[in-house]
Amino acid sequence: MSRVIRAALFQTAWTGDKESMIQVHEQAARDAAAQGAQVLCFQELFYGPYFCQVQDPAFYAYAERIPDGPIVRRFQALAKELGIVLVLPMYEEEQPGVLYNTAAVIDADGSYLGKYRKTHIPQVKGFWEKFYFRPGNSGWPIFDTKVGKVGVYICYDRHFPEGWRALGLAGAEVVFNPSATSRGLSGYLWQLEQPAAAVANEYFVGAINRVGVEELGDNDFYGTSYFVDPEAQFVGEVASDKESELVVRDLDLAKLREVRDRWQFYRDRAPGAYGPLIAP
Amino acid sequence: MATALEPALSVRQVLTLDRVLAGEPEVVAGAGHLDRPVRWVHVAEAPDVGVMLSGGEMVLTTGVLLAGDEHKQTEYIRSLHRAEAAAVVLGLGRAFPVPPDVMRRAAERCGLPMVVLHRPFPFAELTEEVQSRLVRRKFAAVSLSESVRTALTGLITACAPLQGLLDEIAVHAGCPVILTNLAHRVLATAGERSAVDDVLRDWERIARQAGGSEGDGWVRAELSGGGERWGRIVLCGYRGDHPIGRLLAERGAEALVLHRMLHGSAHSWEEQSARGLLTDLVSGAVPARQLLPRARAAGLPVNRRTFVPLVVRDGDPVHLDRVLRLLGLSGLVAELADGAAAVLLSLARDQDAESLTAHFAARLRTEHQAGGTVVAAADARAAWEEVPEGLREARHVADAVADHSAALDLPPVVRLRDVHLRGLVRLLRDDPHVQSFAERELDGLLRGRETEQELLPVLRTYLATGRNKSRTAQLHHVSRPALYRRLEAIQACLGVDLDDFEQAASVHIALLAHDAQQR
Repeated sequence: MSRVIRAALFQTAWTGDKESMIQVHEQAARDAAAQGAQVLCFQELFYGPYFCQVQDPAFYAYAERIPDGPIVRRFQALAKELGIVLVLPMYEEEQPGVLYNTAAVIDADGSYLGKYRKTHIPQVKGFWEKFYFRPGNSGWPIFDTKVGKVGVYICYDRHFPEGWRALGLAGAEVVFNPSATSRGLSGYLWQLEQPAAAVANEYFVGAINRVGVEELGDNDFYGTSYFVDPEAQFVGEVASDKESELVVRDLDLAKLREVRDRWQFYRDRAPGAYGPLIAP
Repeated sequence: MATALEPALSVRQVLTLDRVLAGEPEVVAGAGHLDRPVRWVHVAEAPDVGVMLSGGEMVLTTGVLLAGDEHKQTEYIRSLHRAEAAAVVLGLGRAFPVPPDVMRRAAERCGLPMVVLHRPFPFAELTEEVQSRLVRRKFAAVSLSESVRTALTGLITACAPLQGLLDEIAVHAGCPVILTNLAHRVLATAGERSAVDDVLRDWERIARQAGGSEGDGWVRAELSGGGERWGRIVLCGYRGDHPIGRLLAERGAEALVLHRMLHGSAHSWEEQSARGLLTDLVSGAVPARQLLPRARAAGLPVNRRTFVPLVVRDGDPVHLDRVLRLLGLSGLVAELADGAAAVLLSLARDQDAESLTAHFAARLRTEHQAGGTVVAAADARAAWEEVPEGLREARHVADAVADHSAALDLPPVVRLRDVHLRGLVRLLRDDPHVQSFAERELDGLLRGRETEQELLPVLRTYLATGRNKSRTAQLHHVSRPALYRRLEAIQACLGVDLDDFEQAASVHIALLAHDAQQR
């Protein structure tokens, strides 16, 4: 029996300041709700520039408390008003000097469900993330939202199959992968890794990437956000590689069961043989 | 034509040439590998022949330097194998009266075809025969490449449209040719209609496969320029040799890149594709059902959808497309003739067409300073077959309100029911009775001097505002007394009393008919 949810992703360009960036995202939530979307995920560090192109302590100021900071509260009210589940990738300050790359998940009634902290933190040219974030310590939470079980796996995390698997084992039906990745660096991987994760773990993946070149560096963020289903097929077209775009797609969650009944990857995995994977 | 080209010569084919048969060839090893292509024929008596080869050669030898040394014989075969030779041919005679067992075994182990010739045989004849065939084949490929390039360059310099180029490529390929953007959206197609339709019918499945491997006979070439890829050309089900298919696809890709650099951007190709489709839908020249595969391949969701036909006067397709993306709405946008842009929205069945149309129209007004944009909307259509009629309805509404916004503040969305008398007059504008009625009623102004003709806009505003004098004066930036003088002049010219409802209505209808004629 089909169980269709209408899910959305939003990719956009840096506007130049935090407040207008927040407003653009509020408008996107309204636009998504107007279409009947029930869940929406924003891009990584959604209300800021991708400041990890430089190493500047001034950007620590973008971090705020989750869930007690103003942005989470603001979007809790919006989620409640619109009746939409929101996934908010943010810069989190647990306490001064303890900062994470985090996504907060808000249910459709505005209640705060929890957060995921990015586990794998890169430190390469144009992606100086270790300067800004501690590695996440949240484990692999799954959020039981109004539309289904949602997981989040942030940007660079996507290169590590173990987290995808952990989210699958915990029951995720849709995993969002908010990202900031640039042309030339990962272009051909972008349409390869998440579809592979979707089919290996037999769930839906929503991949989001920002667009445009920002004033802090040469990174050319190439958008092309998409949903991919448990058979690794794109759901509709992928988004523009240059323009802001709201991606709204109907996902039939019944496909999980259909695909898992056909390909018994969960039954046939062999955890007893995976000891070496967790050797330090 | 590609089909006129001989395939590459295989070892097996070389062995069946008349001149070779005269040498009574016998395959003594590697019989399972006779389909290897022969790139060249090389006569070599050197024991270290391997270092002279670059792969694909058929090596001819009498073995004169190998006789009596089994180690050398084995090493000789191994070195040919390492050099990826296609085959070795040994002429029996003084050095080897019978096939040498050591060499045969070594060749069998390596999977190297080994052939012995039982009769003395001039190697020169064999090399001449094979070489000339290979050269002819190479020449044919170069010649094909050149003729395709010349034809395509000729089309480009003659400013031929994109379709002309694709048609030319399809003639050479003998199979459907498809141009796509990176999102696998089909921008243009060429080839036999029914074959193209077969490909398009299955396009959604092909396009949605991540990684995109399309199987045998699918030859793709990337379109790129300035370090950026922006599309690809696909030969679908090419039946000739793969290298020739590659060659055709690459020549095609080069020409398309050149065409884009000289005549426009990839974006405009997407527009052209949408324009072709929407224009065909509006015109009714092709039944809607036949256009369904094209619509699907152009990225429009068509299964279990509701379609909303819209027309925006003076709408910029690029801007309209940007707003659609921003709102997450699926749709096609294209400029129709006379500057109006058509938008065909595709909504899920549960979505509310009216409210989403209003949402779209409102956003058009707030984005990019398009303040007075009016969206002419037809009622949503649940069946694809009804889309052409809907598009025509939207265009009719857009035409009917074309000059309306100058005088009145129109809502962001107008529909058939909003255009009232204008809609009717618009439909009747070609009727000779209506035309002569308009001429008769407005004769005094239309045939008057220039100063009298300048009164026409004042009359238009006055009637459109429901004979509101203060609003008319305001819109024309004149004082009330100045307006009164102009209205008196109008009444004198036309010989009517505009305070009389029926006379004013008559002049109004005449003016609407006159305006409808002008567009």
